[in-house]
Amino acid sequence: MSTAPQAEVSEIDASARWPLSLLLASALLWLLVSGALALANLAQTLSPGLLAECAALSYGRMHALQESALVYGWIANAGFAVALWILGRLGGSPLRSLNWVVVGTLFWNFAVTLGLIGIMFGQGTSIPFLHLPRYVQPLLLVAFAAIATPGVLAWIGRSRPTTFAAQWYAVAALFLFPWLFSAAQVMLLWAPVRGVLQAVAAGWFAQGAWTLWIAPLSLAAAYYLVPKITGRVIPSYDFSALSFWTLLVVGGWTGGRHLVGGPVPVWVPSMAIVSCVLLTFHYIVTALNLRGAFGQCSTALKFVAFGLAAYVIGGFTDAITATRSIAQVTQFTWFSQAQTQLALTGAFSMIVFGAIYFLVPRLANRPWPSTPLIRAHYAAAVLGTLGLVLSLAVAGIVEGRELGDAAIPFADIAAHTRVWLEIAAASQALLLVGNAVLAFHFARLLAARPVVTATSLFRPPPTMEASVS
Amino acid sequence: MKNGLVFFFGLFAALLLSWAGIVFGSHRQLGHLAPLFDENENKAFPERLPGVAAQGQLVYDDLGCAVCHTQQVRRPDFGSDKARGWGDRQSVARDYIYETRVQLGDSRLGPDLANVGARKPAYDADDLAKLLYAGSGAMPAYKFLFERHSIAGRQPSDYALNLHGTLAPPAGEEIVPTPRAHALVAYLLSLNHPYEYPEARPVEPAAEKKEGEKK
Repeated sequence: MSTAPQAEVSEIDASARWPLSLLLASALLWLLVSGALALANLAQTLSPGLLAECAALSYGRMHALQESALVYGWIANAGFAVALWILGRLGGSPLRSLNWVVVGTLFWNFAVTLGLIGIMFGQGTSIPFLHLPRYVQPLLLVAFAAIATPGVLAWIGRSRPTTFAAQWYAVAALFLFPWLFSAAQVMLLWAPVRGVLQAVAAGWFAQGAWTLWIAPLSLAAAYYLVPKITGRVIPSYDFSALSFWTLLVVGGWTGGRHLVGGPVPVWVPSMAIVSCVLLTFHYIVTALNLRGAFGQCSTALKFVAFGLAAYVIGGFTDAITATRSIAQVTQFTWFSQAQTQLALTGAFSMIVFGAIYFLVPRLANRPWPSTPLIRAHYAAAVLGTLGLVLSLAVAGIVEGRELGDAAIPFADIAAHTRVWLEIAAASQALLLVGNAVLAFHFARLLAARPVVTATSLFRPPPTMEASVS
Repeated sequence: MKNGLVFFFGLFAALLLSWAGIVFGSHRQLGHLAPLFDENENKAFPERLPGVAAQGQLVYDDLGCAVCHTQQVRRPDFGSDKARGWGDRQSVARDYIYETRVQLGDSRLGPDLANVGARKPAYDADDLAKLLYAGSGAMPAYKFLFERHSIAGRQPSDYALNLHGTLAPPAGEEIVPTPRAHALVAYLLSLNHPYEYPEARPVEPAAEKKEGEKK
């Protein structure tokens, strides 16, 4: 055992206050931007004339804008902040070289802004999850290297030799992202592979971005928060290592999930179907490990519990819809949008909201100013996510069934899905309002003066997370 | 997971394995796919895009047309692709070997475009230009791809759109496609997978059964 004196918890957070607040503030800003763009995009679906005269915001470009703002704005910034904070906390000493985070964050957000402007002027790549123009992508990689530095240092310099599941997921996300991202850039943008191999490579990247980057980021937060807040050891913790490696090893093979029936070798979607089914093992273990999150009164855990439910349900939905007979109906419809929203808005965002409600008071050393605002955000987020995912899923099933009947023209399909898309747009608006509440609350917290001392704010956690060697 | 080096090696191997399996594996299989030379027709298929159509593909990319339109026909017994007249045969990898950016697409808010240049009844350039100018149903109008000119004191353009009713420009003016609209229309008209490659022929289970009976 290490005998080095451990840093006090408040000391760990104090040094990280401004760099991580900067990451979180930019994340929340992008969340609002992407929410507004997504709402506008759904409105364009309902009335195609909206903004159609404006080339920069026409439907296809608006779609690219909202997806990029969500993934590279909100998910990246918020995920990095949470991963760094967890690595610092579990590493047992204050994060080092945080100046790099500040520089990296500024460059990252500059690159994303530049990229979105580029998309407006028609320089986007039109590759899902990789829409940002070619010229900003190397800049993103360099900025990422700067942001990830303290995380790597915290992992190398950790004061305990044993590690926790939360650390594995955080390190995996930080370590794998640059490899995945640069490989995709080379194969798709700098030296494009030939013909349909581009579709295979793009599928590998899009699924990898979920299973090797976004999902590990959310799980890092969940594996840290659940034992920390409940004060209980994670049940069946022995399985968590196996579950971790299942996600990483099998996850990348789900790349052909959207290529069922497409002009690619048949084994590519077949491997994806097998992998999606194998991954259910990971989802079951995650649900077993983190079942303590459910039925708790902590606000942070309520968000995490909803996110975990979305994560597990999403995993099973992926496995079911990957099979050929079901993909025949759901492929190419709103249903795949519903799945993306379930994963990104339902799982990632909700878990990270929980993490934000837990970590921001500790970073800023002052409590959230208002409980009703947190409740309002929770209600808006839950209703908005449920409404969005369910209405898109129903729209997808209606669309898929009618696409299968060649006698039904597209105008009729649009008319039949319209009511569901209206509900989706209303839910998106509700989500936007909820997220605006969070952003306002966050700004108020940072602007407020500290009134109470840190020690009186929180009960000390009864036990730390269980450890495994 | 005490050993950091083994942990990192494991992470890297997990990523590398999936890349090697899916991307490199299919590259080994398809990376050298050659065009097929047909001696009867004395040319190789697929044919390269004409220059203006290649420019149009860039317009297709940058407007994000792939958000609503796919470019892949599934086999006749899988979905209604054939019944909707999107193509008589399934799309195969060889159809795409000359495309600089393959846009298979993942959503069908609008029809598949893999064979839009070979629709029956056939579209001509004027139909497609009008469709882009006016939109239809759920498709927005792309008016910014067109210019409005006064025709006072000069000869009307050969490419001016022949519009009627509410869409028609005021008297003395005409609506002319910009070069981008020309290129996009040329690209759409070039989208056509006519040639029946051996690998695109559907397997007929009935025929196999007959052979079995004979044996």
